[in-house]
Amino acid sequence: MNIFPPELSYFLKRKFVAKKLKIEHIISRLHLKRFRLRKFTIVGFLLLAALSLTAPVARAASFTASLDRDTIALGEQATLTLRFDGDAPQNPPQLSEVPGLGFGYVGNQSMNLIINGVASSIVTYTYAVTPTKSGEFTIQVIATDANGNSISAAPVKLTVTAASAPTAAAVNSGSEVAFLKFEFPKNKIYVGESEIGQLELYLRDDVQNFGNFQLTGAPTDGFSPGKIAELQNQRRRVQVGNRVYTVIPLAVPLTAARTGALTLGPFTAGAVVVLPSENQGGNPFFMFNQGEQKQVTLATDPVNVESLPLPEQGRPANFTGAVGDFTMTASVGPTNVTVGDPVTVRVQISGRGSLDAVQLPDQSALQNFKIFQPTSKTEIADQFGFEGKKTFEEIVTPQIPDVREWPPFSFSFFNPDDGKYHTLTQPAVPLVVQSAGANAQPTIAATKNSANENQSAQDILPIKENLGALAKNSEPLILRPAFVAVQTLPVLAFLASLIWRKRADNLANNPRLRRKIAVEKMVQTGIADLKKCAAENNSEEFFALLFRLLQEQLGERLDCPASAITENVIDGHSVLRSAPKATLDGLRELFQLCNQARYAPVRGTSELNSVAAQFAKTIVELQEVKA
Amino acid sequence: MKRLFASLVPLICAGELFAADVTADFSTANRLYAEGKFSDAASAYENILQTGAQSPALLFNYANAEFKAGNLGKAIAAYRRAELLAPRDSEIRANLGFVRNQVQGATIRESRWQSWFGVLTLNEGALLTAALFWVTLALLVARQLRPALVPKLKSATRLFSTLTIFSASVLGVQAANHFWSATAVVVSAGATASSGPFDDAQSAFTVHDGAELSVLDRHDNWVQVAGGTGQTGWLTVKQVEVLPGT
Repeated sequence: MNIFPPELSYFLKRKFVAKKLKIEHIISRLHLKRFRLRKFTIVGFLLLAALSLTAPVARAASFTASLDRDTIALGEQATLTLRFDGDAPQNPPQLSEVPGLGFGYVGNQSMNLIINGVASSIVTYTYAVTPTKSGEFTIQVIATDANGNSISAAPVKLTVTAASAPTAAAVNSGSEVAFLKFEFPKNKIYVGESEIGQLELYLRDDVQNFGNFQLTGAPTDGFSPGKIAELQNQRRRVQVGNRVYTVIPLAVPLTAARTGALTLGPFTAGAVVVLPSENQGGNPFFMFNQGEQKQVTLATDPVNVESLPLPEQGRPANFTGAVGDFTMTASVGPTNVTVGDPVTVRVQISGRGSLDAVQLPDQSALQNFKIFQPTSKTEIADQFGFEGKKTFEEIVTPQIPDVREWPPFSFSFFNPDDGKYHTLTQPAVPLVVQSAGANAQPTIAATKNSANENQSAQDILPIKENLGALAKNSEPLILRPAFVAVQTLPVLAFLASLIWRKRADNLANNPRLRRKIAVEKMVQTGIADLKKCAAENNSEEFFALLFRLLQEQLGERLDCPASAITENVIDGHSVLRSAPKATLDGLRELFQLCNQARYAPVRGTSELNSVAAQFAKTIVELQEVKA
Repeated sequence: MKRLFASLVPLICAGELFAADVTADFSTANRLYAEGKFSDAASAYENILQTGAQSPALLFNYANAEFKAGNLGKAIAAYRRAELLAPRDSEIRANLGFVRNQVQGATIRESRWQSWFGVLTLNEGALLTAALFWVTLALLVARQLRPALVPKLKSATRLFSTLTIFSASVLGVQAANHFWSATAVVVSAGATASSGPFDDAQSAFTVHDGAELSVLDRHDNWVQVAGGTGQTGWLTVKQVEVLPGT
């Protein structure tokens, strides 16, 4: 429990606030040379994959557990580290329960190593160990590695020494930086009685700041504790022995729940205090020294309290367990009604005591009234829940016209201050109840449905003869992963349609892109046609197609009509100035071949195939030229 | 294919045999009830339930037998479990209402909005919401694939989007009520709630068999409950049957 605002402990966060650590070291990286030809790249990848698979992998799984300290005081924390060399579990191991110790997962750290071609990994999981009692503890950790094998580490031992309150001599000497005191106003208390204990944190005058105050143990044997809170505006400074201390009081609301000898405490706590740094003296320029942080463990002496039973003598018959000091007001209305009409009875009980125990006396013996379930509302007036008022409201309906009054109503409680029972009585309230005549009695909820309308409501409906559809006990649909996963399908379909729509719109609004795609398709099919013409030795058609493809591709790149493309644009257009010389030479050669073919069209298949290959190569280079 | 069929056949046969056994046991229990052996009938129904099988009729008959045997709490708990499976079954609601009227002392009743949300089971609510969600997403996909349909689908998309949001909200409330508003039905006669979760704690208040209480907390074998008048106390798990919210 941290009862102080975060701003008081801002300076501690870096060191004390648990945070998840995840550090990934990449020791080696593979740099792949970019090959110009795709097939070489694929072959390279395959070779590397084969090499990585055949590389020896360190599989020796060793597992160790260690503590940063083997002895701590109650109120302090130790750090447990689980180290896996080799195959580590994917999730933090679940630690088996050790009575008296609490484990909190802090984080993990992993390291991958490749040394001399041998791969290995080290994974460490860190836990904060918080003791709740003193003694010697053995922590045995059994984990399951990545292969599902159960592995265990050598057990580690932790000794927790009992926290004890400092002696009066130590306190008076001023050697204690901080200490804790607990005071309870009574040494005898009645069961059910509520009192506020006071826990006081003393901080020596040289403490510059403090934070991370956490109660690590608050044993309240036989008491029901309330919420512990600081008493506002009640900090004070007192002289204790040789030093001045700042006292921070905390209220501990307690209600005795059973009788007998009870013990409160020892309360134990931990805190971090900031003391002046030893380096500060002698350095006149050290203006903003943040001081030296010190973890302190605090404990109080136990306080013995005798819890007395409530006396049998003088206990009223209608006493229901209310302990405290209360007053009562009641109202009844309307007072002029017909048989079956609702009358509201409102009872308000206010005062000091455990309001949870305040309840209306049993009214089941009340004749001639049907009493519906009362409701209650509690309004708390103090921060501990010991003062306030509880209002009961119940609806009653007179059943016969002979009713003349709502009978006297009384409430009894035990006052621990004077050790006596008290009974508060509200006088009878006169009622005028008229006959309902032929009006129907108010119907109960169960008769409102059709199945029961014909029933006399003297008995339950008979059993069913047919078993009906059987169902196995199973989880609700919304908790089943498969059901939830299926609901992502329409979302994925919608996202796919959205992406498709965006692409379609983009294409529709971009004529250059449309032309580029069309020309790419045309060139792809054109190259196949060229090869076909070459195979058929049809040089006339081959060169006509080649010329047209050159026009289309150049026209797309230069953003001008294909029919306007001639060999002259190669030297004249600004876009082609950035093209490689080899590409331009290739284009020129292709144009010249096309021109020559008009005069000498006969060529062999092999020659046409080489022209087609040259065209394919030149076109690929041309497509890389920025349009 | 043959292997798949060969592996499915025993499963199908096992399911049929299981159903046949349950039907026979159910008939036997019904006969005991008809003969007036209500405690024996309740035990017979309970044995069937312990196999993991359940149906509204089975729970209804079990509740009837428990009521006739004088166990109001067990009857109410069973009627409420039957109501969770078949919330619109008028016979279950009628008998539950009748038995509730026999209960003495403090008890809580479900509020009007809880009754309203309980008209559908949690699974029915989930399926309805899923169906509306799929229709809405299908309309949105159609709008993307066929922009010309957007004007025609506009009102339908709005309608189904609204219905989906409403249905999901109702499902959320239903789920919150189901998982976090547990109710404890007292199943032992004259149970006394303690002020703390330990055996020698002071008595807080007395509850009667069949009283329905709100569950506030749990600690080991103890359940902290609140009665209709606001008082709180601890009962052991043997004294109550804890049910999810409606």
